[in-house]
Amino acid sequence: MGKSPTQVLVVDDEEDLELLVRQKFRRRIRDEDLKFLFAHNGKEALEVLGENPEVYLVLSDINMPVMDGLTLLSQLADSEKDIQAVIVSAYGDMKNIRTAMNRGAFDFLTKPIDFNDLEVTIEKGIKHVQALQRTLETRDRLVAVKQELDMAREVQMSFQPDALPANEHHDVKAVIIPAREVGGDLYDFFYIDESRIALVIADVSGKGVPAALFTTVTRALLRATASKDFSTPGECLTMVNDLLCENNPSCTFITLFFAVLDLQTGELSYSNAGHNPPRVLRADSRVEVVPKTGNIVLGIQPTHTYHNNQIQLAPDDTLFLYTDGITEAEDSKSVEFTESRLDERLAELSGASSERVLTEVVDAVQEFVGDAVQSDDITCLAARFLAPLSVHPS
Amino acid sequence: MEEKAKLSVEAEQGDKATILIVNGRVDGSSVGILESAVQEQINTGNKTLVFDFKDLSYISSAGLRALLIAARLTQKEGGKALFCALADHIAEIFEISGFNEILDIRATRAEALGSI
Repeated sequence: MGKSPTQVLVVDDEEDLELLVRQKFRRRIRDEDLKFLFAHNGKEALEVLGENPEVYLVLSDINMPVMDGLTLLSQLADSEKDIQAVIVSAYGDMKNIRTAMNRGAFDFLTKPIDFNDLEVTIEKGIKHVQALQRTLETRDRLVAVKQELDMAREVQMSFQPDALPANEHHDVKAVIIPAREVGGDLYDFFYIDESRIALVIADVSGKGVPAALFTTVTRALLRATASKDFSTPGECLTMVNDLLCENNPSCTFITLFFAVLDLQTGELSYSNAGHNPPRVLRADSRVEVVPKTGNIVLGIQPTHTYHNNQIQLAPDDTLFLYTDGITEAEDSKSVEFTESRLDERLAELSGASSERVLTEVVDAVQEFVGDAVQSDDITCLAARFLAPLSVHPS
Repeated sequence: MEEKAKLSVEAEQGDKATILIVNGRVDGSSVGILESAVQEQINTGNKTLVFDFKDLSYISSAGLRALLIAARLTQKEGGKALFCALADHIAEIFEISGFNEILDIRATRAEALGSI
């Protein structure tokens, strides 16, 4: 299949231009390189253009009944489509030619028409129109790419529900305030079984679509591993790490904290793959650092064993997970928010709902940052243990 | 905005290794400077690199990734990469991320050179 012919509209109330074109270009018409359409005045020309959206080049006489060539030019200039016009006028009719050029005509021909001149002018017009088309296509492609990126972000965000349906046993909420680019932060929470919930926070190295894809894959792997052959968070991370390491030539990595809260006992079992140590906000206002498990980020070191650790949550204790978008947020003088400001703020929020903890921390960070540009995603998750779930012996 | 470049990498040719003195912040926007400095050494055949971090003020995850790639590149060439003179807050970043387990970190430049 060849490409479709370039279409040119010829507008003249007399037959001679049409005959000339048909004769002069008969070979190219036969070869389907060029296709000519014909109209006999400006009004007809607009109708033909309306029915043939592929036409971008018009060759038009000036003096015609119903609608003359200069009016047609004005109409074309007002239309959304970028149609180029070549005006045909009597030799020496400089006044009309000038008017036509001022109204945006691309070029002009004078009668009696010289064959050679006609072909050169049409050829030039076609090249110009094709260049314009390519520019438009490039622009459309860029717009499409941008839309895809926006959509990627929406999809990424839609995977992240902002709260686990609350009940009398837990109050779990999270928030992510993305920086300008599609980011690499991730949080997640889900039920493993009726009495255990999984809590996840992570941050992938780099930004943009590759980072977003890496987080999405990690989330899927973690969910699949955690709900299938679930044992401990450490064992889950060991499996997920091996899978991520399998094909990772770009050395992209992800820091990730994965915990499982047992709603019957308040025991929090966790493993930390190189992520900033989370905090436990105790009911009595103490802020504790969740001890490290001494493990490396995910995606780099195959067969690495991720350790598991436990801490105990009492009713009204809150586990607070965050990414470095909080502690490394900078004000306009490049001063960081730091862990100590975070801990100070948390200490004042003992007994608060998860919603309030998140709001207050994010407000504190944003107030600190002021007018400085947010360079990284700000993500945090609060999980408050309310009251133990009692099991009914079956 | 900032008046001076936030990152510079200076190379010093030693007997057994090339020392790369990293000065400033390595983050997503400056990491390219570090990456090209490493690539330049590899291209000129210097495959044993000692990164002197005494003037490194900050390193982001993008920077850690660049160090990891540097370690792999030098290894592939039959050399190695060592990292020395980390400030406390930089050492903490290495420790939290677990990079201290997979990268060869030394207290001082002398110790790094002595181990080669």
